[in-house]
Amino acid sequence: MSNDLKDSRQTSGEPKNPTVPVWLFAVLLLLLYACGVYYDRHSGWFDDQVYAPFHNSDELAAYQPVSGAAAMMQEGQKTYSSICAACHGDSGQGKPGQAPPLAGSEWVNAADFKEAGEVPQLGLNGEVHVAGQDWNSQMAPMGAALSDSDLAAVLTYIRGSWGNKGAEVDASDVKAMRTAIAGHPAINGEVGLKAIK
Amino acid sequence: MKTGFSVFVAVFFAMAFSWSGFVLGPVRQLGVEGQTNILNSSDLYPNQRPGAATLGLQVYRSYGCAQCHTTQLGQDGVMCDVVLTAAGNKPAAVNNLIATLKLTGLTKDEADAVSGQITAAGGKTETHIVATGADISRGWGLRHSVAEDFLWDNPVQLGSVRVGPDLSNVGMRYDANWELTHLYNPGALVKDSIMPPFRFLFKKEKIDGTPSPEALPLQGEFAPPAGYEIVPTEDAKNLVAYLLSLRVNVPLYDAPYTTLAPATEKKK
Repeated sequence: MSNDLKDSRQTSGEPKNPTVPVWLFAVLLLLLYACGVYYDRHSGWFDDQVYAPFHNSDELAAYQPVSGAAAMMQEGQKTYSSICAACHGDSGQGKPGQAPPLAGSEWVNAADFKEAGEVPQLGLNGEVHVAGQDWNSQMAPMGAALSDSDLAAVLTYIRGSWGNKGAEVDASDVKAMRTAIAGHPAINGEVGLKAIK
Repeated sequence: MKTGFSVFVAVFFAMAFSWSGFVLGPVRQLGVEGQTNILNSSDLYPNQRPGAATLGLQVYRSYGCAQCHTTQLGQDGVMCDVVLTAAGNKPAAVNNLIATLKLTGLTKDEADAVSGQITAAGGKTETHIVATGADISRGWGLRHSVAEDFLWDNPVQLGSVRVGPDLSNVGMRYDANWELTHLYNPGALVKDSIMPPFRFLFKKEKIDGTPSPEALPLQGEFAPPAGYEIVPTEDAKNLVAYLLSLRVNVPLYDAPYTTLAPATEKKK
């Protein structure tokens, strides 16, 4: 039995030496190279943003929190205290003779946020009637440099704090407002504010 | 040696191949990390650690703190909580509907379905993203650690063994006084602590006139003899500055969670 095996191995192995054509090696190598390039181009499907427990970038995108009202208020308060509070006060009370109050202002509490949004976007010079008092001062376009979401957050904060009852403002609303009034000069008092469509 | 050149070429390419896989590739993918925006904000993260904290990192390293402490948090899962923000015109109908629904611990698809139902009934909802996992339920943080958290650290002190607790957010848990006293005598603040005291980071000094404002408020058996006080050295102050700068407390795109205003959190 063992003799038979030995014999058959010897006879089949020795005489015929099947040759593998060289071009097959070349084709296989090229194929391997192409696979390598393809794998590398996709970085092995590695995404430096995706950590466990997320499986891929689509899943990660689905779990991004939408800025909720609470987060908006928090973010808005930060922006408010760094930019607005210097003149309008920490609790929106304003500064006598310089800056009208935001707390209880009819402009801030309007059903539409546009007037409250246009003032920080464009600046306001001249006479304006706020909370039963006439004001005549100047405000630079303090909010023009803020991002849409930051301006939306600060407007949401102003419209929802100190007893104000305005609805919250979305970043998309602010974007629409900015597009509508792009290139408008500084607002000329109450008359100018009412005139903006 | 006839084949010297071909051996050199073969070895060179073998080394170059593995070098580009192990070094060049990762550096190109992660080495280019920069500051990123905090979610729903234009603020950048992370900021450079303060100077004393940057020095403190070297103290942390030199005393081998990373041999017993990690600064990396894991996260096992993520879930959604649906929260009603306004009941709308028909509060009774909305409340009845909510009583029949599961509102916490949902996947995103389930949460979308639930908030769709509530919105259809006239209510307004918010979906909160919450990270879950053993580290998070221990109160060590709100999300897993990501590469950005270590952007300014050189070397990064990840650690791999948790003989002591994870320190990713230790700056939010304690203040400077606590940290100093704890370094001097861990057992006084944490019962049965096995952390060795780091008393050599402090000096015993004779009180010369007015006591130093930095002196540790020690009591009992560890109090210095009358007329003496225990003051921290530069190393101790830097180390504590580094510990206080350890706070991973903002949501990022690659580590999302919903930040809740402090008032809402208290209600929970």
